[in-house]
Amino acid sequence: MSTAVTLDGITKRFPGVVANDDVTLEVERGTVHALLGENGAGKTTLMNVLYGLYEPTAGQVYVDGEPREFDSPRDAIDAGVGMIHQHFMLVDPMTVAENITLGNEPRKWGGLAVDRDAAREQVRELSERYGFDVDPDADVEDVSVGVQQRVEILKALYRGADVLILDEPTAVLTPQEVEELLAVLEELTAQGKTIIFITHKLGEAMHAADDITVLRDGKNVGSVKADTTTREELAELMVGREVLMETDKPPAEPGAVSLAVDGLRATDERGVEVVSDVSFDVREGEVFGIAGVDGNGQAELIEAVTGLRQPESGTVSFGGTDVTDWSRRRRIDEGMAYIPEDRQERGLVMEFDLVDNAILGSQHTAPFARGGRIDWDATREHAERIVAEYDVRPPNADATSGSLSGGNQQKFIVGREFERDPELVVATHPTRGVDIGSTEFIHDRLLDLRNEGRAVLLVSSKLDEVQGLSDRLAVMYEGEVMDVVDPEAVTEEELGLLMAGEYPEGYGPESEAGDAGCVATDGEPNEATQPASNDGSEGGTR
Amino acid sequence: MSSDDTPNTETDAADSDGREPGTNTGQSDAPAAIERLVRASAVERALISVSALLLSVAVGFVLILAAGRMTTCSTAATTYFGVGFCYDPVTVYDLLFLGAFGDLSSDLINGQLATTLSQTTVLMFTGVAVAVAFRAGIFNIGTQGQLVVGALGSAVATLWASTLVSGVVGTLLLLPFGLAVGAFVGGVYGAIPGALKAYADANEVITTIMLNFVATAVALYLVQDHFQDPESVATQTVPLPEYATFPSVIFRARDDFSLVAFVVAAALLVAVYLLIERTSFGYDLRTSGIQPEAAEYGGVDAARTVVASMTLSGALAGMGGAVYVLMIIGNFQTGVPAYGFDGITVSILAGNNPLGVGFAALLFGVLKSGSIVVDVGTDVPPQLVGVLRGLIILFVAMPEFFRMIGTRVWSVRPSGSGGQPVTDGGTVADSRGDVEDDVDAESGVPTEGGERDE
Repeated sequence: MSTAVTLDGITKRFPGVVANDDVTLEVERGTVHALLGENGAGKTTLMNVLYGLYEPTAGQVYVDGEPREFDSPRDAIDAGVGMIHQHFMLVDPMTVAENITLGNEPRKWGGLAVDRDAAREQVRELSERYGFDVDPDADVEDVSVGVQQRVEILKALYRGADVLILDEPTAVLTPQEVEELLAVLEELTAQGKTIIFITHKLGEAMHAADDITVLRDGKNVGSVKADTTTREELAELMVGREVLMETDKPPAEPGAVSLAVDGLRATDERGVEVVSDVSFDVREGEVFGIAGVDGNGQAELIEAVTGLRQPESGTVSFGGTDVTDWSRRRRIDEGMAYIPEDRQERGLVMEFDLVDNAILGSQHTAPFARGGRIDWDATREHAERIVAEYDVRPPNADATSGSLSGGNQQKFIVGREFERDPELVVATHPTRGVDIGSTEFIHDRLLDLRNEGRAVLLVSSKLDEVQGLSDRLAVMYEGEVMDVVDPEAVTEEELGLLMAGEYPEGYGPESEAGDAGCVATDGEPNEATQPASNDGSEGGTR
Repeated sequence: MSSDDTPNTETDAADSDGREPGTNTGQSDAPAAIERLVRASAVERALISVSALLLSVAVGFVLILAAGRMTTCSTAATTYFGVGFCYDPVTVYDLLFLGAFGDLSSDLINGQLATTLSQTTVLMFTGVAVAVAFRAGIFNIGTQGQLVVGALGSAVATLWASTLVSGVVGTLLLLPFGLAVGAFVGGVYGAIPGALKAYADANEVITTIMLNFVATAVALYLVQDHFQDPESVATQTVPLPEYATFPSVIFRARDDFSLVAFVVAAALLVAVYLLIERTSFGYDLRTSGIQPEAAEYGGVDAARTVVASMTLSGALAGMGGAVYVLMIIGNFQTGVPAYGFDGITVSILAGNNPLGVGFAALLFGVLKSGSIVVDVGTDVPPQLVGVLRGLIILFVAMPEFFRMIGTRVWSVRPSGSGGQPVTDGGTVADSRGDVEDDVDAESGVPTEGGERDE
């Protein structure tokens, strides 16, 4: 077997960010190679380098053993590398055949006219050769998403691609369509084509691929054979085994239920259900953690809790009141602080200075606004206090938030949200990109809030963080809560399996209910960490 | 700009999440000239504007000469180096500027200046109307339609009310009444596309353009069939009595300019500025305009903000219509000049800043009244005068336009707003994060995670 594609020491830097760090990768001809990693691990960037969309900062791309410099996707296609993006690039009102031949139409009359018949015929042939069930005359807008994807694949094949890169191909598909796609991939490799597919779902990688390369933080952290690896190994590679932090924390003294989520279902922008019947509750005086590989519905769950996403069904209760229909503003006013996952899109207005940003979310409430007028003096004082207390650098409240580094932006958001004097803090990746010292500071403040009797809902993809801070820990996989465990009792292996969507041997929800936790979907708080309190059962189960 | 350093053109396709790639704060990829431009100080910017104005005159000068060579005329208007030209650029620019300001040395208060200022007044309303919508992230092209319905509503309502009161008391009551009706009608008309956008996801550019046609056609029908002045052959309403229109202060009555209206317009600009910069509503509006996701996070009700800002925008345009009726023509006539469309340019020229609108409107007023005089006073065709006007606007707007490009596309930060990103404790200054979807802005940060945590 020969090597179809070799990436040798690829480094891709963007200003201030290293997206790929010295990645070396070999893809055998006629195999399916999965590129596995969390969101932001650098998978798509790496493939964009191979596809000629980005020029690597360092490193060399080889196709069929020959060094190549791609200036554009056209060069890559000429070398036989095709890419199918997550969002299809098809012209909806045109037929399948027209879409596939677009830009490379067969000509007749000495090149003066497009030969539609020949185009249709070529597409039909191509489709039959690879066992695709595609009607060349159908309009693209009328066919299913799965068929549209196959049209994209045919388009690449029509242009002579030998190596096909698929970016998260299953993200838009139904389970049945996924099976069909896998069959298509098998047929393609059987005929000598090479497939590289990008995914963050490790089950899928193991199921479909021959080889798996795991990227983390832009680095290749391991290439393994799919049939000899295990889910745990992959989960560990993806998330990274990190040093468990020594966090001194007094035992939790959980009080009344602050936040109760019951039977929550939510869909993403494409209408795919990504949160399926999730129930849990967070009590005053405890940190409730949610662990899981990124992209398993945590983001949508949190948005539903904080009022940024309307759930399909289920309820969110806050302080004993059903707040499912409450506006975002009302939730803020009632004491729900939220450190968002995407600080640069949601958490801060990039063009505003820190003074402006200090009242994002409290622009209508005293002491910053009275009678519709903003008190800029009070606001400035507030901003300067956050900057000083949370060590935001540069210590200049007039700096635009866009001019701050990511870590400082995060510190400012954390400061703003903590200073709200909240009943409940929803913190997603609160220390992402923050230096060690500030991370500790943020952790300490989170625990302070907990010790003061506030409720904390913490989502993080850093295992050490959720494990170290949480009093109870839910593990999410594909939109469901696998289990709620005691973070001190659970082993890393068990966590890894749960994150991969499997229950460890002999780890039935029933058998472990007494010590490790219980299945979250029945909404009962974990007996092991809950004191017997009479208001204990009213939150999740109702 | 060479094609090599346009990082955004090709990354679009790569972006699997649909976000805009390629902006960052760090070492920007912006061409050095743009970076220099963005970081220019206030004095430098003023100098740049003046030079741009002079440059536009220079280019126009050549253009007039060239056009003058290409036409035939019996006597040359001017001769340079023995070559005769049909149009004299010096005369043209002399008339353009003197036409706009009049002969200030002999008579400060003259008819030319009055025309300039009355044009400026109406443009201040339409300009600030567009600016308000722009600040909320809405492109209101319907200012013209809102102005037309506001003008008609104001003319009809004021005419009716003028039968009830008269004299000085009448003026004091009728003017606020006329303005309020214009604002109300325009506001309602602006609220329609606002509601369509907020609740039915209809693109405001399309709906406002369509509503412009509706406004004009409805106005035509209403005047012809219901409010037609029986003594006039033109399609117009009955003229308002003298006491129902803006009184002339200092300026002559026949110049159709009232300092009162001008002061009202100027005060309104300040009021809108304060509304946007100092109030909670303004905060919501600005946040929605710049970063809708952050606004949503901050508890801003997007739909309400859209409707509110479009209503406000329409109301301001409607007031412009009322001023046009109550100050300039004294009744409603079909064929309202394109103040609404000029308002778009005025607003863009002013960088959508309500205070800047005042100056941009003045520039427009100068060019409008000046070119009327050039049309009358020279043989230069009106089309060429239009080109000269366009040149001036283009040249004056370009430096600001490039500054905007610099901050938006390459994220060059102006001096004095925080400057370059700073690093802290080994954290690499990260970019605006939307570098590219799969690049987590932090993934390259060395301090994160356990690797260093031995």
